Amino acid sequence: MLQGALAGLAAGGLYAVLAVCLTLMSRLVRVVNFAQSATGMFGCYVAVFLAVHLGFPEWLATLAGIVLGGALSAVLGWIVSTWLAEADTGTRSAVTVAVLLLLISLAFILFGNKPQPFHPLLAGPAFTVGGVVVSQVTVVTVALAVLVALGCRAVLARTSLGVRLRALSERPTTAELLGIPARPLSVGVWTATGVIATLAVSIVAPSQSNDPTSLAMLVVPAAAAALLGGFRRLDLAVAGGLVLGMAQGAVAQADKLSVLRYFLPFLVIVALLLWTQRKEVWDAAR
Amino acid sequence: MRKVLPTLAAAVLLATAGCAGSDAGSSGPIVVGSVNALSGAATFPESSQAAKAVFDAANAAGGVNGRKIEYKAIDDKGDPAAAAAAAREVVGGDSAVALVGSSSLIECEINEKYYEQQKILSMPGIGVDPACFSSPNIAPVNVGPFHDMTLTLLYGTEVLKLDDVCALLEIAGNTLPAYQAAIGEWTKITGKKLKYVDSTVPYGGSDYTPYIVKARAAGCKAITVNPVEPDSIGQLKAAQAQGWTDVTWLLLTSVYSENYAKAISNAGAGVYVPAEFYPFTDATAAANQEWRDLMAKNKIPLTSFSQGGYLAAKYFLAVLRGMKGDITRETVTKALREMKPISDPMVGTPYVFGPAQAHHDNTAGWPIKLATGTNKWELSARDWLRIPKP
Repeated sequence: MLQGALAGLAAGGLYAVLAVCLTLMSRLVRVVNFAQSATGMFGCYVAVFLAVHLGFPEWLATLAGIVLGGALSAVLGWIVSTWLAEADTGTRSAVTVAVLLLLISLAFILFGNKPQPFHPLLAGPAFTVGGVVVSQVTVVTVALAVLVALGCRAVLARTSLGVRLRALSERPTTAELLGIPARPLSVGVWTATGVIATLAVSIVAPSQSNDPTSLAMLVVPAAAAALLGGFRRLDLAVAGGLVLGMAQGAVAQADKLSVLRYFLPFLVIVALLLWTQRKEVWDAAR
Repeated sequence: MRKVLPTLAAAVLLATAGCAGSDAGSSGPIVVGSVNALSGAATFPESSQAAKAVFDAANAAGGVNGRKIEYKAIDDKGDPAAAAAAAREVVGGDSAVALVGSSSLIECEINEKYYEQQKILSMPGIGVDPACFSSPNIAPVNVGPFHDMTLTLLYGTEVLKLDDVCALLEIAGNTLPAYQAAIGEWTKITGKKLKYVDSTVPYGGSDYTPYIVKARAAGCKAITVNPVEPDSIGQLKAAQAQGWTDVTWLLLTSVYSENYAKAISNAGAGVYVPAEFYPFTDATAAANQEWRDLMAKNKIPLTSFSQGGYLAAKYFLAVLRGMKGDITRETVTKALREMKPISDPMVGTPYVFGPAQAHHDNTAGWPIKLATGTNKWELSARDWLRIPKP
């Protein structure tokens, strides 16, 4: 069981990174970005294309992919903050669903549905604890999740940029009237999360099955993890991602429970929604 | 007006007579159909492309008894409703005489009853689902995943002498009993049992690490899987990340492609596959020469799928050319039922449609191997590996 849980930790680390991105987006620019992992997926696919067909060196191709992931996210952010500046969170988030579907289709059209020869950035085990192997990918993704969360917290709490971002998220109109540049800051947040998500997907994609759909749909477990922190708390988002990954790994070890594995994120989402709504009166909750 | 009416009536009569003439099929083209996964998440277009290339070449050489073959490859989009509609379009609408070179994940199961009703026979290039191998009206050219699994297990335990073999089965729909029967056949021949079977492995999973960790903890030395390409790549990578590099993979023809070989950086102690047709990666083989030339001429990818479609069309042409008299669905069905077995160097078992209630007779694969670091498939035997007759 412990072995299974540790085996799920690599996936958990990825969920945690994406959950942190989702939480940042929700807090700072009022969007649940359903295309979070899809932009990362698309960046990775372009990187593989550059490496395989145009002969780019591996590191340059990966870097180009990450830049593209950030750029895609920036464009999307610019569109949302220009035309949907005053729209509610639901409308702004709906745009990202369209982008998610567009990117999946585009990846199939451009790169076909055959597996791509991803070159692993990291491969093999990092260390063994009591017969349980922990892979390099696990170590890096978990570290990345924790670092990103800590870094974002520090930026938000300690820097003037953080103060302005918080002002923008708490009172957007007031902040703008005070002269805080809303659009550049929003686009900056979109770009940063795009870069982080593409980096995380670039590390993990070569170590698992990597068709466009399964990579783009990583947003579902990530959303379950972000929900644990109510799309507001970064620490809980990280914990949620790691616990969800480990639970999936552990469940796969028991034949009877194994079918549950892919439903776990949905079960977690439903359970958390019921829990957070427990004190609501039915009419008010609607 | 008086004059117009009789002329009109005559014209209508002529027109209907013309239609009736083409229905009887004594001079018009011979319509041959196929139902294929041409779009959707998993596509296999090469089988019908190869069949079309064979028919086009035959037409260019004068056709069959002076009649051209009109080949219709319909898309089933991987969708049951579309598969049913595709069969009705080509069998009912276009009055095909037979189906040749189909390749789909679901088509046999959806359409087997319809083919029985319509008294039409189907010779898929690549049959996948269990119904392809259990219907009186369907006889695929390929070995199929079930005999393929028996073969890969036989090769692992009898030739490579591996112990502690485990199975990770990806079960879609009702395929579990067919795989269990395939493993049972291996047990009957060798008297050996699998150390462990996990039939909960999902299709299209993103991270297979937990399943790999479980198999390793159970003490497996070799693993047989029935994967699609991306899943298998994910499983091998999960094993690599765990540092499990001494495991042997006994896989099926479904992963035999150059794309797959390129995507695998660490193949453990080797990936072994019993290729259902003579291995296409052996570029110098005489067995594949004719097929290779035709595919190159028509720019069709060299894959097991195009081998299946090519053979299906070739067998069908041979039967058609041996027929005397009119070529209709009825006479084609009769000729296929009464045909003599046809041998071909591309397969280890002669093909015959025949009157059997089920067609699962192709029982030979050519063992090939993908070793770590080579990114290339190599032959690992000098002859066909066959499932011994009971």
